[in-house]
Amino acid sequence: MKLAYYPGCSAKSTCQELNEATHVVASSLGLDLVELESATCTGARELRAIDPICFHSLNVRILALAEREHLPLMTICNTCTLNLLDANDNFHKDTELANKVNERLEQEGLEYRGTTRVTHFLWVLLEEIGEEKLRQRTVNPLTDLTVAAFYGCHITRPPGRYGFVDSRNNVAIEKLARVFGCKPIDYSGRTECCGFHTAAHDERVAIRLTGQHIDSAKKNGARAMVTPCPLCHTVLDSMQREIEKDLAKKLDMPILHLPQLVGLAIGIPPEQLALQRHMVPVNLLNSAGKIDG
Amino acid sequence: MNFNNDAALTAIMAGDNLAARNTRLREGDVIGVRILRSAANGKAADFETFEVPFRKWMRVLDVLNYVSEHFASDLAYRWSCGSKMCGTCAVRMNGREVLACWEAAEPSMTIEPLRNLPVVRDLVVDREPFERKVLSFEPWVKRTKDYAGFPEPLSHKEMKHASKALDCIACMACYSACPVIGLGELTNFAGPGPLVQLAQTALDPRNDLAKVARALEKSGIFNCVSCYKCEEACPAKIPIVSEIIEPLKAKAARVVPHMAKHALAFHKVVARRGRIDPTELIVRVQGLRILGFIPRALRLLVRGKINPLVSIFGSRSGIPASGGDLLRKHGGP
Repeated sequence: MKLAYYPGCSAKSTCQELNEATHVVASSLGLDLVELESATCTGARELRAIDPICFHSLNVRILALAEREHLPLMTICNTCTLNLLDANDNFHKDTELANKVNERLEQEGLEYRGTTRVTHFLWVLLEEIGEEKLRQRTVNPLTDLTVAAFYGCHITRPPGRYGFVDSRNNVAIEKLARVFGCKPIDYSGRTECCGFHTAAHDERVAIRLTGQHIDSAKKNGARAMVTPCPLCHTVLDSMQREIEKDLAKKLDMPILHLPQLVGLAIGIPPEQLALQRHMVPVNLLNSAGKIDG
Repeated sequence: MNFNNDAALTAIMAGDNLAARNTRLREGDVIGVRILRSAANGKAADFETFEVPFRKWMRVLDVLNYVSEHFASDLAYRWSCGSKMCGTCAVRMNGREVLACWEAAEPSMTIEPLRNLPVVRDLVVDREPFERKVLSFEPWVKRTKDYAGFPEPLSHKEMKHASKALDCIACMACYSACPVIGLGELTNFAGPGPLVQLAQTALDPRNDLAKVARALEKSGIFNCVSCYKCEEACPAKIPIVSEIIEPLKAKAARVVPHMAKHALAFHKVVARRGRIDPTELIVRVQGLRILGFIPRALRLLVRGKINPLVSIFGSRSGIPASGGDLLRKHGGP
């Protein structure tokens, strides 16, 4: 299956291991990723709020780049996913906005007609590849690995976007974890917020919120946490030392990007999944490549 | 007790959502309900369990009324209209905020008071902290120019966001669901509910901008983490993040730009590079305070998570300027 691939800024800078792991795992699963090299940022939350027209221009431009390739657009970041979905939706709802945005795109010979389908790697795994095929590909079952799924917000809410009456009903990652032999655990932080979006000006909120989540995951027996979003990963992993300081206790919680969990299960060597680039060491496998009990 | 799909479908077809959601229960089924009671008469605060027979069309409020009438006449809970208008009966049921008068009873329920507000007793919370915040925003429209006479030009488009905010019934469900409010005094964030109340007048184009700026300055609005928990909790289905908080942030970026430092820096970085360079963003937002980040920066550098060369000289891969052009050519927000 061929997909237009939009990694977003984070996977191209502070979370390059996610980009690397996605490429390796996708190729092993037979996904042909066509990276949209000239794609920009989607505007995260900040630009989205203060400059709606530019926000829509940036996102519609990315949608148009995928449309030009006649391919569905796959993301690996929650916030990018929601931005692209929202911009696509508004493009269809608001003709005036659509015309304005297309006028701007015209300057580089682009035009969006509104046909791009946006999807996230998590949904590609479940909807395009499917549990059955993933089960067959699982050569290294992660037996007894207790994992805590950390969804983050923008792949789960707003309620109107994804249809969950209660966002805690999102169980996509747990489904996958079971396919790979893991034991998903329940804990209070599953669909809570990591606080990333205000961390650039005040990281105390992110530290405090995410501290609660990692602590809860640990208390409920998680050996590792897994997230579909590089922004959540940044707080969970890169800021874990500050979180430990705030909580005044050691956590040592390895945080996996979703494709890394898949990669381990389908037998891709940890180095190729760039696990060594994490701030919290990921020592889940023993020398035989099995989960270290 | 089993979910009866045929009954649910029939009820939905008849436009009766409450009956549809009730189809997990049948007449006479016993609902197990645990209610968090305050400390009283020498007893510590604790859950008290009651068994309530299910009757058709039963809502959470009906269950509370039944408990009060049959088992615990001293149970404190608040309601008035019983029809999703007055905003007084919000509680937490099974871990989420609901209006007792609008939520279908479930086979097993844990009912608690709203979070983030002082509990008066049992399920009744003190509204004062919430209302004090709203009042501090001077929540009325003040004109700077004299009324021009009837008919005053005011379009639907101009009132688009303010009119969404006017759907608010001030039930405070969102205030209870907000994780930043849950952190207490850590930030000066006013919380979703008070911001919706503010938006009713702040997003009204007739309002005095100086007064709106004063209110926004007190709002701590840029501490909103955009988690959408408020939208999930809102019984009036107000798109709080996208139609209230974001337009308010846009207004703040214009009338109190120092509040929007992070957002404006973000805009600059994307206009310059097409993408976000986290290091440049942090430097722009934190200024000299960045010195305190050096030890962490070194740790990130070792793992290849930041690259100062790229941050200073730009990315070698070079995003075509066209993306950034979208921002540069059309000026700032």
